Amino acid sequence: MEIEIQLTNEPIAEKISPPSNLGPVGAWLEFRGIVRDEENGQKVSALEYEAYPEMATREIRRLIETISTRHPCLAARVIHRLGVVPICEAVIYIGVAARHRAEAIALLGEFMDRLKQDVPIWKRRALPLAAAPRPVSFAPAKTTVQSLDEALAKIHSHCRPSPAIRAPLAEICGRVLRETVCAPEDLPANDRSTRDGYTILAEDTAESFQIIDTIHAADWKPRQLQHGEAVRVATGAALPCGGVRVLMQENVERSGDRIRIMKREDALNIRKRGEDVKAGSPLVKIGARLDAGKLALLAAAGCAQPLVSQRLRIAHFTTGDEIVSPDQTPKPGQIRDSNSILIRGLLQKFSCNLEQKHLPENFDAAWRQLDLNRMATADLVLVSGGASVGEKDFTRPLLERLGFEIIFSQLNIRPGRPLIFGVNGSHVAFGLPGNPLSHFACFHFAVALALTRLAGKAGTSFLRGRLATRLDDQPCPRETLWPARLEFSDSKIHLHPLAWASSGDVTCLSEANALVRVLANQGSINAGTEVDFLPTTDIMDT
Amino acid sequence: MRVLFFAQLQDATGCAATELALPSLMNTEQLWKFLIEQFPALENYQKNVRLARNWEYANAETRFTDVDEVALIPPVSGG
Repeated sequence: MEIEIQLTNEPIAEKISPPSNLGPVGAWLEFRGIVRDEENGQKVSALEYEAYPEMATREIRRLIETISTRHPCLAARVIHRLGVVPICEAVIYIGVAARHRAEAIALLGEFMDRLKQDVPIWKRRALPLAAAPRPVSFAPAKTTVQSLDEALAKIHSHCRPSPAIRAPLAEICGRVLRETVCAPEDLPANDRSTRDGYTILAEDTAESFQIIDTIHAADWKPRQLQHGEAVRVATGAALPCGGVRVLMQENVERSGDRIRIMKREDALNIRKRGEDVKAGSPLVKIGARLDAGKLALLAAAGCAQPLVSQRLRIAHFTTGDEIVSPDQTPKPGQIRDSNSILIRGLLQKFSCNLEQKHLPENFDAAWRQLDLNRMATADLVLVSGGASVGEKDFTRPLLERLGFEIIFSQLNIRPGRPLIFGVNGSHVAFGLPGNPLSHFACFHFAVALALTRLAGKAGTSFLRGRLATRLDDQPCPRETLWPARLEFSDSKIHLHPLAWASSGDVTCLSEANALVRVLANQGSINAGTEVDFLPTTDIMDT
Repeated sequence: MRVLFFAQLQDATGCAATELALPSLMNTEQLWKFLIEQFPALENYQKNVRLARNWEYANAETRFTDVDEVALIPPVSGG
């Protein structure tokens, strides 16, 4: 019987053709299990599934093989979806081919019963439908002003690691590893030659040797060498036995199937088994962000489906009727939208799925445009603009109606004072003040911290660096995240504070690659002073 | 020994996977005792959780060694 099993994070195709060339098929039975719109009496927007993939695949196969001894069928195909599956979409697909319908129906029925008992796949959580619309208040909210440190602590404690999944190496660049991967075997797995040359016994004092074999890089030819014997080896070839050395081919003279040593050297020219890594030692540790080098190491170690953080789902809304798209000419009073591309660019390194949408300024019109079921599956909601307490600013009421509890809505910092942070179960939301520089600052100290935490890492922290030029400022009662240009010279980090007039200053964004922390009432800071700063790009890209 | 936790057990233990050094060959009962020593929160789950050794469900006779992959399987809910 042919059995095909797939566990996938992608939607199951609408049409799946039956396998061909099976012989006398008289029945092709298909079943799709669909996510219902309620779970335990609660309306939901999606269910999230998790699996132990290696074992789930084996169990599915074992069950089908067992059941088919009683109800013989010709082929079966099982696709189970993992991750977030919205309502009305298929979570499982089963196709069964048989000579007659009775066997196919019997196998399908029994298999579904057993799947629900034995196959290690779990509904991890139900994502609630957006909360029932609540009365909305546009009155200025009573809110306590918080310090930067208090805000960071709140974000840190409210953002919990999202569930981890197993995924193939090709899909997980930039994600966070959620397990420590250890070497399954010694690397290299055996002693290897580091030269093109000839292997002889390490202590063999003969001057002339008989060539008895050739070992290429991919060969495996274990044999015990004897006195006076040599084996031709290529660089990287596995050596035939222990206790040998490799003579460089430059140091011997070959004639026919014999060699003679022209020059003896001390080096063995061998890369020893386990020289890189010993079996069982940790290769990549839990919490590492997977870059190309780490992925290559996992591949070399045979870890094809490591446990990693899920790709985070992010919904970003821009608001404000004064915003026009970059390809339009703004009328008086209008400005071009730079925040959409700013957020898209800033999110690039976080390996996430981003959906962006512009909302009208009218609250009810904006509410009607939201796809609430999609909203409910977003791990992180960002709203640009509408974050202060102006009459039309509606971020806070919008987040509240979506079910978010507002944790803070004003910070004692600049830029970014009206930053809003809300929490709804494991989902979090930020309302970002509309101007680009505030976006930039708030993203780096607040949103990046939330994303890092959701991905399963410990968090971000300020680094220490020296001001290369004086930072000119009037003492300000608020803490400041001052845009700066970070440069390397003399093996040291130098920070150049950039000129910015107000939080609407967009020109300094193209230069800024760091934010310098200026304490409340600190005023100007002299060149040469050590300060806290946050890098805002990978330091090597500066 | 590599130990994997799934579903609510990840919340209970705070991790999805860990490496434990198994001091000796153990049967299922001994392994449970060992795991609960490492993660006391697991005690409340023991009754409803099955152990799997190298991708197959274990039973009372199963023997576990340090090179095995062990998974704790709470009641499943796929499909």
